[in-house]
Amino acid sequence: MSAPVEVVLSADSAGQLFNCAVFDPHSGSEFLSYRGGNTSSRSLTVLNGEYILGAQLGKNFINVWEIQRKDQLQQKIVCPGIVTCLSASPDGLYVLAGIAEAIYLWEMSTGNLLAILSRHYQDVSCIRFTDDSSHFVSGGKDNLALIWNLSSVVQLDSSRTPEPRHILSRHSLPITDIHCGLMGPQARVATASLDQTVKVWEISSGEMLLSVLFDVGIMSVTLDPCEYFLFCGGSDGNIFQVSLCSTSLSRDKTFQTDSDGNQVFKGHRNLVTCLSVSMDGTLLLSGSNDETVRMWDVQSKQCIWSINHKGPVTNAAIIPAPANMFLADSHPAVPLPRFSRHLNPSEQGDTTGSGGVCLRLGANTQVPEGTYLEKADELYSLMCAVTDKVSGEVHHCCQDSIITVSRILARLSRRRSFV
Amino acid sequence: MKSKKQKRQGDFQKVQLKVGKKKPKADNATNVNFKSKAIHLPEQLKHADSGPTTNRQLDIKDLLSKLHHVNSNIKQGALVGLRELLSGQPTLIELHASAVLSEVAALFTDKDGSVRAAAVRLLRFIAQCIPPERVAPFFPLLSAHLTCAMTHISEAIQEDALRVLDVLLEHYPGLLSQRHTVLLTNFLELISQKRKSGTGQDKAGKGAFSLTISTNRKVTAQQWRLTVLLRLGSFLQAVVEERPLEEGVISRIGLGMWAGEKGSVTPVDVSWEEHAFGKGKIQVFENSGAVPSPHSAYRLRPDSKAGGGMNKELCSAETVQGFAGTLVPLLLEIWVEAAGGDSVQTDSDHLLSAEAMALMFQILTILQLLRRLTPQRDQQDILDAWFRNSYLTDFKHHFMKNFPYGLREVARHKKKADGKRIRQQVAAGTVAGTNVEPLALNVTLCQVMVTLSLRGQDHIEAEDADWLGPIRVFIRETLSNGGKLSLKHLAALLEVVWRMIVTQRSRVVTDDLLQAVFVQYQQRNLAVSVRTLLLRFFSRLYIQEQQNHPHIARSRILACWLASLPVQLVQLGSRNPQLSAQLLETIHPAAARGNKDLLQSLQKNACSIYDPQEGCVVVLPAESQKRLVQILHFLPAFPAELLACLSQVCNTGRVSASLATMLIRSVHLRSPLSGCSSSLQDVPVKDVDYLSFFFTTLTGFSSEMLRALQDTDEDGLLPSSTLSPLSVFATTLEQFLHHWDIVEEVCHCLNTLGSRAQCFDVIQNAINKNLCGLVVVPDCVCAAILRCVPRLLDVNFLPSDTLLHFLSDCCLSMLNLLLQLEQSARKRDAVWEACFAALSTVPRLLRLVLQSFHVFDLCEEELPVLAQILSLLLQHTQLRNHMMANASLLQHIIQDLTHFYGGETREQWLTDLLYCYSVTLSGHRTNMGMRDIY
Repeated sequence: MSAPVEVVLSADSAGQLFNCAVFDPHSGSEFLSYRGGNTSSRSLTVLNGEYILGAQLGKNFINVWEIQRKDQLQQKIVCPGIVTCLSASPDGLYVLAGIAEAIYLWEMSTGNLLAILSRHYQDVSCIRFTDDSSHFVSGGKDNLALIWNLSSVVQLDSSRTPEPRHILSRHSLPITDIHCGLMGPQARVATASLDQTVKVWEISSGEMLLSVLFDVGIMSVTLDPCEYFLFCGGSDGNIFQVSLCSTSLSRDKTFQTDSDGNQVFKGHRNLVTCLSVSMDGTLLLSGSNDETVRMWDVQSKQCIWSINHKGPVTNAAIIPAPANMFLADSHPAVPLPRFSRHLNPSEQGDTTGSGGVCLRLGANTQVPEGTYLEKADELYSLMCAVTDKVSGEVHHCCQDSIITVSRILARLSRRRSFV
Repeated sequence: MKSKKQKRQGDFQKVQLKVGKKKPKADNATNVNFKSKAIHLPEQLKHADSGPTTNRQLDIKDLLSKLHHVNSNIKQGALVGLRELLSGQPTLIELHASAVLSEVAALFTDKDGSVRAAAVRLLRFIAQCIPPERVAPFFPLLSAHLTCAMTHISEAIQEDALRVLDVLLEHYPGLLSQRHTVLLTNFLELISQKRKSGTGQDKAGKGAFSLTISTNRKVTAQQWRLTVLLRLGSFLQAVVEERPLEEGVISRIGLGMWAGEKGSVTPVDVSWEEHAFGKGKIQVFENSGAVPSPHSAYRLRPDSKAGGGMNKELCSAETVQGFAGTLVPLLLEIWVEAAGGDSVQTDSDHLLSAEAMALMFQILTILQLLRRLTPQRDQQDILDAWFRNSYLTDFKHHFMKNFPYGLREVARHKKKADGKRIRQQVAAGTVAGTNVEPLALNVTLCQVMVTLSLRGQDHIEAEDADWLGPIRVFIRETLSNGGKLSLKHLAALLEVVWRMIVTQRSRVVTDDLLQAVFVQYQQRNLAVSVRTLLLRFFSRLYIQEQQNHPHIARSRILACWLASLPVQLVQLGSRNPQLSAQLLETIHPAAARGNKDLLQSLQKNACSIYDPQEGCVVVLPAESQKRLVQILHFLPAFPAELLACLSQVCNTGRVSASLATMLIRSVHLRSPLSGCSSSLQDVPVKDVDYLSFFFTTLTGFSSEMLRALQDTDEDGLLPSSTLSPLSVFATTLEQFLHHWDIVEEVCHCLNTLGSRAQCFDVIQNAINKNLCGLVVVPDCVCAAILRCVPRLLDVNFLPSDTLLHFLSDCCLSMLNLLLQLEQSARKRDAVWEACFAALSTVPRLLRLVLQSFHVFDLCEEELPVLAQILSLLLQHTQLRNHMMANASLLQHIIQDLTHFYGGETREQWLTDLLYCYSVTLSGHRTNMGMRDIY
């Protein structure tokens, strides 16, 4: 059996059988499971295709697994507080964690804590990166969603506190979920809130494009890759599908009302906590507090399969299958560094010399040590590690996944050019 | 030839006149012996000329031609005539606009004063009738004549030109403001003259213009300057206001400062129901998101000139600087003269005559307007910096010199000045706008000076302290001396306060100033507009600036103000919904941000805010109600009495059903039972309270109300009988449906709780304890119980007998009620749905119901009712199997029924029943038969 293109990664809050498990998106059969602890909501993330990070529910540490060594908990990262949400950047360079009101930003290459952003007034409920890792969006229980520019957060010298690029303040109740579309800084963001609305925003300008009012609070939201549809998981267990561009241009059809319910996925009995759409936009994954994960066919709105968990589902996502996942003898190209718990590593006093070069643009605050040759050597080894990893990944990439991706890109570009 | 001669002779024959003979008649004598009569054709005469005429029978052509007459009386008469004609026939104005306007404009420079006055009057009249867009084509002409008049050599004409300007400013500010390049220099020339390069006087180097003093005017130089400056001020105002609004720039001045801001993309707003039923097609990207918005911060370089056509306008800092460079020295000169001239009259420097004060006020207004000429923020900053660099020392020297003294003596000065002002006004009656309060002057001075203070740098702060100090003292004293300020002054003062707080960044200053504003805020009997303004000031301060400025966030006064908001909300009640909405607009974000002071105060007042009788949540309009319900989500704790209030709020029907469901949901979400809140240490809703809240909401009646109901005998009461064991209190349709919606939501919430069996056990106990003993039960309570039991019942759970008996009583009463409900289909459907759900999910219930039909206890009239109930149950296919399980019981009842009914004729109801029975049974038998075969 060839390795699958995409896999389903899900976790529940009970953690009896496993912390999180990997399933086949087409059959629902279990591939792997990772044991130890349980994961809180919106805090399971895959770092760089090599590690799985999951914040422990109600505790102040993050569980880390190497993606191929499923049984063994590799490491626990101890954080300053209970982690409410966690996200790794798609390029694998940064990790963001929401800890109470603050957002912590770590650099993966060194483990340095680069910034603590405390612009939220209440707990941060969700953090999402854009697909090019240039921006991230954080939503909190204080009704605010903030759009941050990653480079401006990282580059600033310590004298100035980082400012969010835009503040989205039109929600009137806590934000429950965020989804970032594709296209980097030109992407659209969808935010769901308990105030029964889902709003779509533009990252570049911070303007609101759309607001959809439902009759129940919305707990989760996602867009399909082409942004044709918006999927919203309600607190009553229904999943609503909002069509974002009406494709029927013939005027005769306008009087045909869509019959009631053909845009609702019905099946869950309790709040829908997480939603995710597959790469080709045909499959929708949903996890709910009724302890099931369901896979739906988007076209026919039928449930394809469902998996029973032992507790409310906290995380469920369709992710591209990481290269290392099914190779038991592989190992990560870059070892996970120790995460620093303080903003300035020099204050902490542990100058044991992990030896990493600290490349920070803009700031000349760090005085480099060592000779030029030493540094060049280190740089070279680092670059070698990166290229090794990249080539390994390329070999593993299946033919048909390339085709799917290229098709989607073509569709995307056609639509952008059309509109 | 000869004959010709003879002829000639014949022509000149001499007539011999002789005495005594009658004189022969001449050949050409007129025969006058005829009679004549006049023919009157009045109609024809009147209609001979097409146009209407004035009283003097002059039409518009005559009048226009008379305007060119040499005699000024005739010209004036023609102008008066034109006005009369046009006011009588307004349609003529449109027809002859071009001719009339050009002729009238030509008279702006007429030698005779009365003609000019009449021309101005006519212009004023015309301006009232023609909208600006129709005048636009003639406006170049008008303004050319205006310019001509303003620069005329005769001073009287110059003065009248200002009147023309007044008219145009009043009616066509937009058109006039486009001509600023010419007009601004004209203004300068009215009060000054271009300094010749050769004449090196002592003031040389201050500017290219110097003030002129002419002695032959009727008014003093000061008064003349005042009139000119007044016009200049209003002209600049027009320029500022009429500028095509730059997008994304919020006017931060004056009253508009605390208004809302607007986005540039219009978001699509849909509700799910519309979308689901295909009414609203969403085209997000076509509508608003197709291209990235121009407000995106992604720019290759900042546009230096905003919008191609705007570069000639007065919007860049350079052009304004150029103009200001000539104007400001002049203004300073005028200021010095006004101040100096005044100090001669009175003994101390800070006391000003009314006239000087008006003049100074105008100067400051103009300075303020100059700054506002640039719309863009970055340009404004450049301009501020330029003003600071060029004129700070001058301003400090002249403006601030007497400011602190003046401030201290202002009150006294006011009293003193009153008598003086009256005298002066008589003297200078011609000059308009002399009534300027000292307060207005001082406030404007503060505004002008404060704009010069830069934000940020420390060394500048120390530099500025010497002149910002007096301003601060003045503001503090003005605000906190207990007097009521007018809206305009207050807005200006608040603007100054805002700027100082933001620029100075010191906690002491902030608290000092905010304290003063707070004193003003705490006054009683403030006008609504003033109150709203203060409220907006604080709320904007809190919401916008707090994050960037920790000194604001830590302000004690702000915390105090926030804590006072819920109390105000309670006190305000339903008296002023707008103000309440304003309060809520601040309370909501503050609660969302978890502000401790606010939340504590909110918690303390929660019971009165959410009071079901007169709390804000019921008396305010729907939009505010919604906010209040949303605020509920952020309350730190829900004590039992608050939940009791909320439950009643849901059921009294003064909030809409959708809002009530929202309320129920937010209580549900806050409870740890719902599994949403992850934190375990603080429990906002205790489980006991949670369940009792839901049970009370489910029943919809408090225990007191139910107890009171037992003893009443109202009309709505249906008496109990054998068929209806409970006496049913019929609620109104509205109340019933409202409650029905709420029950739906309650059932849904209870359904999602973790352990269904335990949950049902609790509900069962509650029903047994609270409802089972009742004799009179409202119909909505019956329906609610019947509805929730089957939905919450777990398959493995056995309900207790007491509950089942109560349920069967309810069911029977409801079925009985069902037959009496003709008027409302919805209520009947709801009742039937509830009964049906209960009977079909709990088979024992059906059996109990059937067992309670004691035919022999019934009287004659009740038999048809029983038969109808039975046939209703039999007709329903889903119930059929359950009925079949009780077939023997059913047969027994029907036998009894037919026996007991001893009538000769078979009534319709009996026939129906027997038919239903036979159909049901036969259907069942065939099924049985089929099953036997296979």
